[in-house]
Amino acid sequence: MPVGRITLFDNNDSFTRNLEHLLAASTGARVRIEPYAALRRARDAGGAPWRDLLDADLLVISPGPGAPDEYPAYAALSECGCPVLGICLGMQIINEFCGGSTVRLHPCVHGRAEAIRFQGGVQRVARYHSLGVDRLGRGLRVTLRTEHGVVMALEHEERPWLGYQFHPESFLTGNGGFWIRHALERLHV
Amino acid sequence: MSEPCTPARTTDFEVLPGTMGRQTFHDAALHLARTRGADLFLSGPGFEDAHRSLVALEPVDELLLQDPALLDRSCPGNSPANFRAGDQDSWNRDVAQRIKDFCFNTPGPALGWLGYELGMRLRGVPVTKPCELPLGVLRKYACLVEHDARTGRVRCMALPSCRALVAVREALARNVAQHPGLRPGLKSDLKPGQEPNASLDRQAYTDAVRTVLGYIRGGHTYQLNLSLAMQTRVQGLDPLTWFGQLLYHYPAPFYVWFPMGEQRIISTSPERFLQVRQGHVLAQPIKGTLRVAPGRPAQVAALQNSPKEDAELSMIVDLLRNDISTHCRYGSVRVERHKHVFQVDDLLQMASDVRGRLRPGSDCLDLLLGALPGGSVTGCPKRRSMRIIDELEPHARGVYCGAFVYVQGPGDLESSIGIRTAVHNARTETLRFWAGSGIVAASDPEAEYLETLAKAGKFLAGAHDHLA
Repeated sequence: MPVGRITLFDNNDSFTRNLEHLLAASTGARVRIEPYAALRRARDAGGAPWRDLLDADLLVISPGPGAPDEYPAYAALSECGCPVLGICLGMQIINEFCGGSTVRLHPCVHGRAEAIRFQGGVQRVARYHSLGVDRLGRGLRVTLRTEHGVVMALEHEERPWLGYQFHPESFLTGNGGFWIRHALERLHV
Repeated sequence: MSEPCTPARTTDFEVLPGTMGRQTFHDAALHLARTRGADLFLSGPGFEDAHRSLVALEPVDELLLQDPALLDRSCPGNSPANFRAGDQDSWNRDVAQRIKDFCFNTPGPALGWLGYELGMRLRGVPVTKPCELPLGVLRKYACLVEHDARTGRVRCMALPSCRALVAVREALARNVAQHPGLRPGLKSDLKPGQEPNASLDRQAYTDAVRTVLGYIRGGHTYQLNLSLAMQTRVQGLDPLTWFGQLLYHYPAPFYVWFPMGEQRIISTSPERFLQVRQGHVLAQPIKGTLRVAPGRPAQVAALQNSPKEDAELSMIVDLLRNDISTHCRYGSVRVERHKHVFQVDDLLQMASDVRGRLRPGSDCLDLLLGALPGGSVTGCPKRRSMRIIDELEPHARGVYCGAFVYVQGPGDLESSIGIRTAVHNARTETLRFWAGSGIVAASDPEAEYLETLAKAGKFLAGAHDHLA
């Protein structure tokens, strides 16, 4: 099924436009970018602004600086029923929706491509993160880890939520489109 | 932002007969700077795809980005208390429109620079430190002369009002004594001054690096460019001769001489920021520096194989992809020549090409203003990195880490990153310059301090030992 509209929430990140281009190129969807501040305002306003903001086939939470607790307004997304894809910080936010927690990595990894086994093949994915998943949230399942056990992808058993810790939109990731299509399939978008 | 621009009345360049070498042209350029107050954008020898040199004379119009109307009008960066959603966008649109009107509504290309603090305001980061210079300056000229070092051809554009044509013709006809700046071995009349005053001494700089490492571990930034400013007395320095000496001894692709009253801006940058040619966009971020040991073969492979330098460059490539994507067509953005290495001064530098195509409705100034300041001099993610920079650096950056720009039209632009840049003040006889390095998780504070000094080396040596 073709994807019509994607809303991409931007956490003042410097990779958001890469993600926009990847989403547009691999799905053909119209991608609308909204800053986190707009989400917060619409949530506080409720009613029509809130419904308008969530009126999309897929919501995407961008990477960004800091930790999930700086972005409390995203908790409201967990009640909307719309499929949610989270990248990096976005994945950590999904984990915290579900009661999970986030921890500093030792050492942190920035700007490194890593080969990861997935579905019987090897995929090269880009990592940029200082923080990672510590305690896994309720109802979540880890679908990908590094060889050292760092969570690289997770999805919810019942709800349409999926997260990648790595960056499919980076030029260091071998096949970014593969990961977007995989997410759409899993989320039944 | 995407309003169509009024097309400029084009002013044609006339190709002059004959050809001339780069150094002969640079001699003429320095002569015209001396005798006619010309502004210069010169590319030194030895760098592929930087072959254009420009001499600009008789400014006919100037856009000074500092007047109160521009900056007081609800500038979100200055009045966070009054910030409303949309203010930032509207301020950015206003600034863009002023610059576009200046560049595109009158004939001829514009030359000038846009400072780091303009970038701060555009990105919504409050400006807290006083700047000696305005936020940016653009000029239009009665006469512009352009040399292409690949062909040796010279092109000239002149408005009917131009009075300097005879002087230009004479200078180009090699009736110029060789400029003393462009020859080796000449003594300058510079007297060594005192040791430079640094805004951060060794202890303060390495402490700041440690603070950055804490921010990196906390996930606030992945990489951050930390600089220091230096000021030194240079009694008796003739800045134009010194500029010529630097160009001769330390060639780099983006030399700029830009006088502003008692201040003379001197940039010796190796780094292209954004180039747009007929809508084709090229960014060339540099990250990764290795000092070449005298008498030893250049360690190109050591630089390319260093995981730390690789990660630094990759991060900034992703950042530049992001920054040009805002105004590029879907599917057009790509990375080429990843990790190519070139040498400038005694430093090996690693760089990549990031390319794209402007999208319909966006012009080169939308692209430039959307990407300012360049990602390689802020860090990533950009906005939070800039806030941390502002917290840790006691100095304003000013023209340093801004951009020098040559705007030819909506689809044509050349620009460099304002690094390896100095400002000479003729009244106080002081030289102010800056240097910085990129801090990542694997950074060693002492090593970063030394890298920063290495980058300032040509100014330290140039202003004190080398010429004196």
